[in-house]
Amino acid sequence: MDKKQVSISIDGKTIKAKEGSNLLQVARDNGINIPGLCYHKKLSPTGACRLCVCKIDGMPGLTMSCTVAVKDGMKVIAFDEEIENNRKHTLDYLLAEHNEEFDGAYRDEMKELVEHYGLDKPENRQFSPIWESLNYPKDDSSPVLSYDATKCIKCFRCIKACEEVQGKNILSFAERGITKYIVAGFGIWSESECDGCGECVQLCPTGAIVEKPHREEIKIEKPDKKVITSCPYCGVGCQIELHVQDGRIMRSTGVEGVSPNDGRLCVKGRFGLDFVHSPERLTTPLIKKNGVFEEATWEEALQLIAEKFTGIKDKYGSKALAGYSSAKVSNEDNYIFQKFIRLAFENNNVDYCTRLCHASTVTAMLKSIGDGAGSNSIEDFETTDCLFVTGNNIIETHPITATYVKRGYQRGQKIIVVDPRWTPLVKYATVWLQPRLGTDVAILNGLMHIIIRENWIDKEFIEKRVDGGMQAFETLKELVANYSPEETERITTVPASKLFEAAKIYANAPTAMIATGMGMSQATVGTNNVFSLLNMCFITGQIGRERCGINPPRGQNNVQGATDVGASPVNYPGYIPVGNDENRRRMAKLWNVDYEKLDPKPGLSTVEIMQAVHHGDVKALYIMGENPVVTDPNQNHTIEALENIDFLVVQDIFHTETTKYAHVILPASSFAEKNGTVVNSDRRVLRLRKAVELPGLAREDWRIILDIATHMGVNLGEYSVSEEIFKEIAEAVPIMHGISYERIEKHGIQWPCPEKDHPGTPTLFLEKFNTPNGKAKLFPVEHIEQKERASAEFPLIMNSGRLLFQYHSATMSRKNDTLNAFANESYVLINPEDADRYDIKEGEMVHIESARGSLKTKARIVDEVAPGELFMPWHFSEAPVNALTRDELDPMSKIAPFKYSAVNINKVL
Amino acid sequence: MIAEKRISLARIEKINADSIDDSLKAGAYNGLKKALTMNPEEMIEKFEKSGLRGRGGAGFPTGLKQKFTRSSCLDCEKYIICNADEGEPGTFKDRVIMERDPHMLIEGMIIAAYVIGASRGFIYIRGEYQRSIEVLQKAIEDSNKNGFLGENVLGSGFNFNLELRLGAGSYLCGEELTLLESLEGKRGYPRIKPPFPAQKGLWESPTLINNVETFSHLPAILNEGLDWYTSLGTEESKGTKIFTITGRVQKPGFYEMEMGCTLRELLFDIAGGMKDGYEFKGALLGGAAGTFVDESFLDIPLAYETLKARGATLGSGAILVLDQETDMPSLLHNLMDFFKHESCGKCVPCRVGTTMLTEMAAKLKNEPELIHKMTKEAHYMAETSLCPLGQSPILPLKSYREYYS
Repeated sequence: MDKKQVSISIDGKTIKAKEGSNLLQVARDNGINIPGLCYHKKLSPTGACRLCVCKIDGMPGLTMSCTVAVKDGMKVIAFDEEIENNRKHTLDYLLAEHNEEFDGAYRDEMKELVEHYGLDKPENRQFSPIWESLNYPKDDSSPVLSYDATKCIKCFRCIKACEEVQGKNILSFAERGITKYIVAGFGIWSESECDGCGECVQLCPTGAIVEKPHREEIKIEKPDKKVITSCPYCGVGCQIELHVQDGRIMRSTGVEGVSPNDGRLCVKGRFGLDFVHSPERLTTPLIKKNGVFEEATWEEALQLIAEKFTGIKDKYGSKALAGYSSAKVSNEDNYIFQKFIRLAFENNNVDYCTRLCHASTVTAMLKSIGDGAGSNSIEDFETTDCLFVTGNNIIETHPITATYVKRGYQRGQKIIVVDPRWTPLVKYATVWLQPRLGTDVAILNGLMHIIIRENWIDKEFIEKRVDGGMQAFETLKELVANYSPEETERITTVPASKLFEAAKIYANAPTAMIATGMGMSQATVGTNNVFSLLNMCFITGQIGRERCGINPPRGQNNVQGATDVGASPVNYPGYIPVGNDENRRRMAKLWNVDYEKLDPKPGLSTVEIMQAVHHGDVKALYIMGENPVVTDPNQNHTIEALENIDFLVVQDIFHTETTKYAHVILPASSFAEKNGTVVNSDRRVLRLRKAVELPGLAREDWRIILDIATHMGVNLGEYSVSEEIFKEIAEAVPIMHGISYERIEKHGIQWPCPEKDHPGTPTLFLEKFNTPNGKAKLFPVEHIEQKERASAEFPLIMNSGRLLFQYHSATMSRKNDTLNAFANESYVLINPEDADRYDIKEGEMVHIESARGSLKTKARIVDEVAPGELFMPWHFSEAPVNALTRDELDPMSKIAPFKYSAVNINKVL
Repeated sequence: MIAEKRISLARIEKINADSIDDSLKAGAYNGLKKALTMNPEEMIEKFEKSGLRGRGGAGFPTGLKQKFTRSSCLDCEKYIICNADEGEPGTFKDRVIMERDPHMLIEGMIIAAYVIGASRGFIYIRGEYQRSIEVLQKAIEDSNKNGFLGENVLGSGFNFNLELRLGAGSYLCGEELTLLESLEGKRGYPRIKPPFPAQKGLWESPTLINNVETFSHLPAILNEGLDWYTSLGTEESKGTKIFTITGRVQKPGFYEMEMGCTLRELLFDIAGGMKDGYEFKGALLGGAAGTFVDESFLDIPLAYETLKARGATLGSGAILVLDQETDMPSLLHNLMDFFKHESCGKCVPCRVGTTMLTEMAAKLKNEPELIHKMTKEAHYMAETSLCPLGQSPILPLKSYREYYS
């Protein structure tokens, strides 16, 4: 319920405010700048600095405005001589225990106040310094920040940033009174659980906690410019402000008051942007001559590419060409890329890495509910009553979404974690179900069995909003009847009592949301896994209302957008199927081409393209911003394919494991060098803004694509700036019709946004589902045992996943010393029982082998994995997990089973 | 000649503290039995009329506090907390009650719980009080066994569970809002006020916090009646008060007196006067957070209103007697150092101020005029600090300046 509007007066000025709101914030919002150092609008009031004193009619003495809730008729004096003298006195006190040394590398709110009150002049002070005698310590051990207690005013902002904002709770005070200071964990920053998110840095009002990178160079007063843009890493879409100095990014700060992150960042978004200025950046086109890359001019490169593409098309037909678009480039880049494939290659052979992560999720969701995107807003992760997290290591892979979850936990949210492996979220879980790998359908059917048996279903929802109503439900009921708790326990190893607890919590929560991840999707039964999840959602009615639904948080900053704008072998921009004649005519008209030019046949998907290359069906491949040698399954197969391809163009910002096999390498733009848009996990269209110049001869991606087209004699349209491309996207994509650069200048808009005055859509499916008849469709599915199984030769099952500190194939993340300082080494997790069995000791090098390939890595012995199962992060190309995986595909979505490979393990002798 | 009048300590000579049977024979839990036949509103009225005020030092009317807590909400969870973190220097009155008649306290708490409708209570006790802890622990067990605590107290349908919680050596945790933080398992920092505990206290629920001595008055008020209780004491200070006397008197120790007795009566008639060769020069009333007085206070009744009228405080009832050999600047330095040591450091005025006051106090002997600057700083601290700790140094400083400089 909205709070009542009341009227108060501050220094005679009448101000309207919501009843109960914070007086200090109300004053500041109305331009009355009451000083205060411990208050921050994101944090609970502390009342420590005592600078925001005021007088309130009817209250004796002085009151701290940060601790007062606004009441109607309140009369406040914020500034008079007594109050100002009191503030000056407090500041004078603070100065006595404060080291004023200032190196200009940070904003010092205290220094600003000291100058405001004239206390920078020693003659105006009453007290002499005592801080030098207090022996305050420094902690310089963290790779990303340093703490200097002599500059600390003990305002609690860092402690609360860590606890209340990020949910980490790592900082606290050591000692008491005048000698107290901040410590991380038990006292040494680098040995604490601090993961370097830097929220404390951002909220520190003095120079006590300051970031280390560029500390010597940065001058906070003199940036060339400050640019707000979107973070280039995961799909949360955090808004960052880049401090640019001498043409380089010196610092990244979270943008306060703007969704999705409201100022919060993780270690990558704050400290992982040095890759932009890496000396290893590609700065000139390279052409391979006699096996060696030689620098070339753009003209040489473009001509060669045009010649080869056209030649191969002429010789083998248009089907012999294909392209990988990218989740790491903008919507504008992706849109132009898919337009290029459809008009220059004249086929639909365009796909990208979404096929490797959430293709199955999207396939199932499209069939069941008509949209493949997350149904909720990021804020809902905090406010929903129950969160069901399955196969999703959300704290590491979507750290900022996880901050909302942790805040929800603090409010009493029930969290159910389903994961074969321990993840940090288990610490917050009400119940953790640990099924053995590959048994997701069984566990979900088992949960539904209990829900139906206990009559926790939502009959009204099923009748009104599920296709076929109770009749369709009966079919599901019959199928899950076989998944009694005992049978489910037999298949999954999860105790029946835990299944009961989880089913009870999820089904009976007033609101419940699902977050699903790679653990569910990257399987040969990935689509079935998600069908099963959706079935559970439908029979309990936990979708179609606010704070209810299903969400697949996206792994890269533009996975969502790339599909939205048509980087898909089956859909035109806006999820419009290519196979439909009317759709072809519509696109042809928009693109001003003959509609016969548009291939009516769906194209090949990511792994299919690589298989076709291997077969020799695809002769030329154009890769933009992808690294399939590391990211595709069955690495040896991928390498074989690329070794034998006729012509490979790779457009990237760095040499990668894939550029090695290219005939031409094109230097492209990083996120920081381009204007454009991306779409995040909660369907928010967000801006990318150019902050720095392109290195060397590198060019923006969409311009390179247009140049290739022009050299091939294909006209893709005239565009001078990215905004013109976005206008065309808005025309092509119905769910983005109402969006323009102008509208998203400050805040992103969540699609669908069909009209210019439409506010966007925070929650999907409130009225109806996006299926033809508006209803959700049940797809009852059976558990199927994996084709690949543990055997005498390969007795263990290898799981794979990501870490907080590295990112995908590590092309970007591993170019940052800061991130590498946290994690830069491959390892395998092995259960102590298995370690005993194979005589492996902690830290020993091991050789791991599957039927496809092998690798070497280090053993870490932990019970985070179940006996019989192993886990490896896949970021490290020197120990490529995809040497082990197979390219057997989920028949419906063509996704590969990255998380289920039978292997053996041996100590390296 | 004046004599002690005992309410809180009425049974201590008659019973073995470890024996509930002893206590029962001496009348323990009779007040509770009476309470269970009365309705809570009626009892609150009675306690309001009794004029009983908080014995922890602040002197807030006990009945009013009960009323606020009870009326905060009718069916929500409420808590009772006994502040037994007796930390004021020179104060050891609560310890005597807890060690020698634990059931007096427990009975008082059960009555208060019944009055406000709480089903759970905690005794937050000073961790160093090893003997008190042992005695109370056993007494709580015995009280449970005898049906005074636990489910369905004496068949009345009223449930009340009582637990001990140990402090860990922080003076500040005796401040009621800080005590709540500590009780919730958090670090002992003072909370922002409001909300008051009666509205939102422990785990955000309405909470009644009283001192040990305060609770121990409740059974007698019910047993002996209002007329009896209000006949004791002065106009605004009813009943009795335990004083703990230290310094060079003949018989230092604890004495429970009717309110309104004079310092002269207490020190010379009861405590036997000064030790041979020592002259009475004054006293520090109420501990570190108390006030200095001189000889002119000898005949002023020890009551809230009479002391207040002279700018002094009764506080916890601690009386530190000063004589001609007391090194006054050193004593003051010691007090300031105590505040510095106990300051949690959360707010700036107290954190820095207590440090500065200590530094100045160290120089006081040679620079007596520093007392003026000290008082000025303490005044600023009192105006600006977050909790009573930073607001306290002004009390001894101002009175020191008045009588000893």
